[in-house]
Amino acid sequence: MATNATVTPTTTSEDVGPAPVGHHFYSLRQQQDSVRLGIWLFLVTELLFFGGAMCAYTAYRIWFPREFEAGSAALNVGIATLNTFLLLTSSLTVTLAVRACYDGNQKALAKWLALTITLGLVFLGFKAREYQLDFAEGLVPSKRLMTADQQLGHSSILEEGASQVAPKYVFVHNLEEALHKAGYKTEGIDLVRVQLFFMFYYIMTGLHVVHMIVGIGLLIWQLVLTKLGFFKYPARYVYVEALSLYWHFVDIVWIFLLPLLYLAGPHSAGQVITGLQQALGMVSH
Amino acid sequence: MAASTHHASTGHPAGDHELPPVANTMMTFVVLFMLAILALVVGFSNMGEWKVLANMAVSAVQTTVLALFFMDLRKADPLTWLAVASSVFWLGLLFLFTLTDMLTRHLAVL
Repeated sequence: MATNATVTPTTTSEDVGPAPVGHHFYSLRQQQDSVRLGIWLFLVTELLFFGGAMCAYTAYRIWFPREFEAGSAALNVGIATLNTFLLLTSSLTVTLAVRACYDGNQKALAKWLALTITLGLVFLGFKAREYQLDFAEGLVPSKRLMTADQQLGHSSILEEGASQVAPKYVFVHNLEEALHKAGYKTEGIDLVRVQLFFMFYYIMTGLHVVHMIVGIGLLIWQLVLTKLGFFKYPARYVYVEALSLYWHFVDIVWIFLLPLLYLAGPHSAGQVITGLQQALGMVSH
Repeated sequence: MAASTHHASTGHPAGDHELPPVANTMMTFVVLFMLAILALVVGFSNMGEWKVLANMAVSAVQTTVLALFFMDLRKADPLTWLAVASSVFWLGLLFLFTLTDMLTRHLAVL
């Protein structure tokens, strides 16, 4: 890959001439500035979109701080840690893709775009595995109650001398088991309210996943355009730059989701290893 | 008109900003990597109610570094800076008015 602008690109501008300018622009420079401003204005709306969700999260966390910590304690911090570094590395590779296009190095551009797509797909793969583990543990908000038979099968929940079993939510039972495994004490915590945390967890990470899927789709599209020779004009690097801005924004959203969702509760470095072992099926969850 | 402002040796229009050198990009990545480790160290610590504030501070620094260097906001034109500043301002208003309401509406009337 070219390391700076002075390195001879594989396809020079002298080979292809100046990049075409849209009929509604005065110059190539104005066209590039318009592309940049357009993507930044889009990111402004995105910031307010995620900001609304984070504002609601803040309000409910202030109301139910211990319940949110309990919910966080039940999450897989190992997968979240790995995904943090995967996404951070993809921010580097997409930046290098912009550089390659700027230098007119289409081969390097294709390589960095492909690497960014791969890192994004690995992120999504681990995220899917995390959701699968969450569903397997029954950490899904619902109004479903345990049957009397199910409750009698768990003697620990029966009060001594009680003649009748009190109704209990399936979610609360599953959460108790998950927190017990995590070594988290649940005294004084309204476990039904922890469902609020999980609503935020699924919606916020779900929206992030949707943005990742869109980003990967656009990266694949730019990889196809690269193969078709669209980026033979180095000035067209601005389109790769616009997509990289979107990708960096998705990374920034994750930078806030990690502490708000995964690090809100008590976790240890050892749980990172355990979480990764669970993800890879090396230990049962 | 485009041809007259076109820089033949680079293929870029005259006046277009230069991208930062790859060495700077790598340095930015290392800094972001270290900040991510710091976020995890803070997250695994037992700082009580200060933990969320410390984590948000680290996240804010990470975002600033990423925006200034990876997103190249340093060299952005004034219109882009206006867009970014307005979004932060509106986001601030969203948090300010929402939290002002919810933190004060249950106060006893003296």
